[in-house]
Amino acid sequence: MSLLPIAFASPWILLALAALPIIWWLLRLTPPKPREEAFPPTRLLSQIPKQEETPAHSPWWLVLLRLAMAALVILAMAGPIWNPQKPVVSGNGPLLVIFDNSWASGASWPAQIATANRIIDQANADERPVSLLFAVGENAANQIGISAVQAKKTLQAAVPQPVMADWSKTIKILKNLPKAARPTSIIWLSSGLQNTDDLLLSKLLKEQTAADYQIYLPDLSQLAAITNATNDPSAMEIAVKRPQSTQSLSGEIIAFDEQGRSLATTPYTFNEGATLAKALFKLPVELRNDIARIDISGKTNAGGAYLLDEKFQRRRVGLISGENSDLAQPLLSPLYYISRALGPYSELRYPDDANISNAAKSLIEDRVSTLIMADIGTISTDTAATISKWVEKGGMLIRFAGPRLAASASNALIPVLLRNGGRNLAGSLTWGTPQPLTSFSPQSPFADLNIPDDVTVSRQVLAEPNANLSQNTWASLADGTPLVTAAKRGNGWIVLFHVTANASWSNLALSGSFVEMLRRVVRLSGSAVSGKNISANGAKETVLPPFKTLNGKGQLENPPGNAKPLALRSGKLNIANYDNPPGQYGSADGFVVQNLMNASSKIVPIDPENLNGKPVRLAYIADAAEKLRPWLLASALLLLALDCLAVIWMAGLLSREIIKPSMALIFLGLLMFMPSNQGFAQNSGNTTTGFEATLSTRLAYVITGNSEVDEISRQGLIGLTAYIHSRTSLEPGPPVGLDISKDELSFYPLIYWPVDPDAKIPDANSMARIDAFMKKGGTVIFDTKDALSGGFGGATVSRATEKLREMLAGLDIPPLERVPSDHVLTKAFYLLKVFPGRFNGDTLWVEASEPETDNERPVRVGDGVSSIIITSNDFAGAWAIDEQGRPLLPTVPSSPILRTYAFRVGVNLAMYTLTGNYKSDQVHIPALLERLGQ
Amino acid sequence: MSATIGTRVEHASGAETLERARARAALIPDLLTESRHISNTAINGWHGRRKRGVGENFWQFRPYVEGETLAKIDWRRSARDEHIYVQDKEWEAAHTLWIWADNSPSMLYKSALADVSKQSRAMVLALALCDILARSGERIGWPGVSKPSSHRNAAENIAAELMHANLDVGFPPTEHVKKFSELIMISDFLDPIDELIENINAIARRGIRGHIVQIIDPAEESFPYAGRTEFLDPETGSTFIAGRAEQLAGDYTKLFSARKQTLTNHLTRLGWSHVIHHTDNPASTALVALHSRLSNEQAYNSGASQ
Repeated sequence: MSLLPIAFASPWILLALAALPIIWWLLRLTPPKPREEAFPPTRLLSQIPKQEETPAHSPWWLVLLRLAMAALVILAMAGPIWNPQKPVVSGNGPLLVIFDNSWASGASWPAQIATANRIIDQANADERPVSLLFAVGENAANQIGISAVQAKKTLQAAVPQPVMADWSKTIKILKNLPKAARPTSIIWLSSGLQNTDDLLLSKLLKEQTAADYQIYLPDLSQLAAITNATNDPSAMEIAVKRPQSTQSLSGEIIAFDEQGRSLATTPYTFNEGATLAKALFKLPVELRNDIARIDISGKTNAGGAYLLDEKFQRRRVGLISGENSDLAQPLLSPLYYISRALGPYSELRYPDDANISNAAKSLIEDRVSTLIMADIGTISTDTAATISKWVEKGGMLIRFAGPRLAASASNALIPVLLRNGGRNLAGSLTWGTPQPLTSFSPQSPFADLNIPDDVTVSRQVLAEPNANLSQNTWASLADGTPLVTAAKRGNGWIVLFHVTANASWSNLALSGSFVEMLRRVVRLSGSAVSGKNISANGAKETVLPPFKTLNGKGQLENPPGNAKPLALRSGKLNIANYDNPPGQYGSADGFVVQNLMNASSKIVPIDPENLNGKPVRLAYIADAAEKLRPWLLASALLLLALDCLAVIWMAGLLSREIIKPSMALIFLGLLMFMPSNQGFAQNSGNTTTGFEATLSTRLAYVITGNSEVDEISRQGLIGLTAYIHSRTSLEPGPPVGLDISKDELSFYPLIYWPVDPDAKIPDANSMARIDAFMKKGGTVIFDTKDALSGGFGGATVSRATEKLREMLAGLDIPPLERVPSDHVLTKAFYLLKVFPGRFNGDTLWVEASEPETDNERPVRVGDGVSSIIITSNDFAGAWAIDEQGRPLLPTVPSSPILRTYAFRVGVNLAMYTLTGNYKSDQVHIPALLERLGQ
Repeated sequence: MSATIGTRVEHASGAETLERARARAALIPDLLTESRHISNTAINGWHGRRKRGVGENFWQFRPYVEGETLAKIDWRRSARDEHIYVQDKEWEAAHTLWIWADNSPSMLYKSALADVSKQSRAMVLALALCDILARSGERIGWPGVSKPSSHRNAAENIAAELMHANLDVGFPPTEHVKKFSELIMISDFLDPIDELIENINAIARRGIRGHIVQIIDPAEESFPYAGRTEFLDPETGSTFIAGRAEQLAGDYTKLFSARKQTLTNHLTRLGWSHVIHHTDNPASTALVALHSRLSNEQAYNSGASQ
């Protein structure tokens, strides 16, 4: 034992080595399994006279392999330790142990405890009284001069503390040390880091004039701590510091959200000689805002964890638009300007759902502090209730006007009463001129902004003048009409911009003031929703209870008994100490974090040379000693694998055909042993729903429940599909009937909806789905089939039309108009002047487009596709064909020309929904060619 | 060390072997069996058959002619109408060849040194022979499976019948084989030598001339085994464990060739021919050797082995 630096935990197991010769004898006796060979003339073999046959032994190398395996297992069981150390504490007077249990001890804790145990064991054997003093925690005086057994109990209860060492109490105790307890040996179990009172402590220790004075130092090469995190617009930067700089060190930093789910990992590297490393989380801001904790991967102390609270977060703004989301033309989208204005300063949230009520709900659940609604007219009552409740609680609702808002009769969620219809200042028929922005109200958040001279408003919605209007006005135009009005509701605000968020009514959205104004408004919101407004009490002291705190290993857990409420003074944080360990203070809704370190924290190793008394430097025991058992067991396993291979080989099974798969298996097996902490994203969700529908473009109709109507719809669309197939390059699949309450609508560009006066109105959920479908760019053709009894636009109202109006009341419908003669629909494929179906009654109704000023153009520039088309001419009836391809229903008046026109209308409708304004752009081709010089 | 040298294989099917047999047979000229007994009537390969004369098989009924011996009258036929008939026999001039290939489990063996199993090779040889002989108009049969027939597509018929026949017999059932016919047996003849010779003698005593084609896998001849090996007889299922197989090689090869020699000597004494064929050689070599034995008296009398 003395020759090799090796010791055994349980040496008596080594006796089992004596059994090796028996194992050897047994192994030699068992021959390997013979190779089996089919051999027809076996009978001849038995005629061969028996020769003396030496029994087949296992080959010597196999026996040796197995013996080595057995020996390794026996050795491993004996628990060998390489390079064991024994603490040397001589003398027999009182023993003083200074135990540094500050944050850095989390890493060296096992070694520190093991060493302390050994020392105290030895003291126990020598019957020496022990004084045990900790760096952090209650150093009660009864720890002085206690028995070794008691000291050991205290030691067992000790845990690493997540705070800096504070020797002041220890120093006080040392100063008042009774004579009897004056130590003859002093053991300082250091965490390796320098603390403020080190020198003072060492001075006191020197005064004890002990015979033995030892300081134990851990290996600090792997120690690192996060000292700061800054959230920049592009990335979150993490500063990591370490005490030693002799060699390079790298690792990973993991970000967790509040639930402790890991969000991202990023590497950090200390170069040789550097004590500071930077790591960047280049994450989307939403994800970054979710970060609640940052850990050094594999941390063992509190320094490896850094907590974040809401002050790191950026304001969350939810955006909802009434426009259908036409991504092809972003400059027309009102949200474009808002997102460009707020993007750099806030975290923007877009709803997943085009359905306004769902969108608003999901955004509010997302805890947005500001909700921006651009041109939304009708808001359903329960949605309005949800939003207004949220506003009362402190939400900020910003609304922008637009054609829909102007058309809407409702005054819900609007700060001032509005006049219906809006005002056009610069139209061809108006006398007025565009009005400039002239004043910001002094009470408004815009008070200190410069009034821009380039902002003019050509259209706006007008407020009903009343006594309160001027109070509620934040910005007004030259003629005194308000541009921005606001009203406080509960804790929150409703703000209305009387113009659109895009450039169609005013050039406000293009000016720099727009950015500033939005920022002011959003900033006004921010603090309102962050729960219990903690820092708002200002200079007064706010006391926050501990919510979750870090333990000595750097894990976030419920606060220990010693954690006291945190007193905040004017929002400034104290240094973490024993009473206020680092952690989150407050409640789950809102908390302030206290961190162990801040940007100015330094991590410096203790320098024993500078200490008074020049203690003897020693390394911790478990540090240098290495347990050999895992290695021995691993090599025994390796030998076992070799043995298996050898047996397989000797049995002749290792032919070429088998080698390949078996090698693959072995490789797989090895892979399984590889440590892997990578999670694999799981493919979840079943995407086969509607797969059929995506394979080809299909026309669709709404199943009304009336089988007669549905059959006509089906046959009508079959007829139209056949016609489109034969006349155009579009080849639609067979038409589909849709149950609007269940089926996914987004696969279909065009949905035909015959209005059955006897059918029930679809429930609110289905209508919301239709609303979302239209908002997302789908087109619905409503066919009232009542041209003979008045039609949709007629003076009398038929039952079908009444039903349609009832249905549409729940939808956010833009203003409608009769198809103008220069509408794209008239030119999408065939040139059409009328839009007959089975009847040749009223024309089509489509979404009203902007009036055209430039009369040179033969086609109106329609941006986007009308999401709603209303007819009363019974299209499906005209299109319907039977199996033989003959028309089912007669046209009124009966004429083949009318049917042909009806089919042409169908083709134009399909082309219009699929190509949009492409056809209107096509009229420029001659001009373009001319310009190109062709 | 590699995988086992010998493997047990599946039965080679009749249809597939027929294809291969055809290919082999195409290499061999039409075979005219040397007829010792009816040399005078041999006309261009047809042995004077299809005529009435002395024989064992029925040929025709004809009206009784005055002066013929009454013993010739077929009374059963004559009783059916008012005429009296005489039964003519077919002139037994045709040569009947019985061909048999062993299908027992011991034949289903193929070593790494050979390309095909013994059974497959035997079947190819047998069917190729059938094809050649049928071309020459011989009557060919397969004992236990097919009666002798002189159809030109006899090989096909036999192959078709083989597909449905139970072939697991160690030795051909020779009760239907008549005197003066020839019997060609293709097998590995690994049964105990005494038993084998007794069987052969029994056939030879009935005046049947035989041709023995012994199929041997090269591994059976050279015994390339080494190391601890358990030998398994596919026919009887008996096993033999050799601690060091390489030590047996010398004794085994001696024993094996002695056995071959014994068989050759005995067959020569009976006037039979003995062709030895190894499965690593092409099938046509055996076919040519057999062809010469069948067509050439001298050659087979010399008893040279292939």
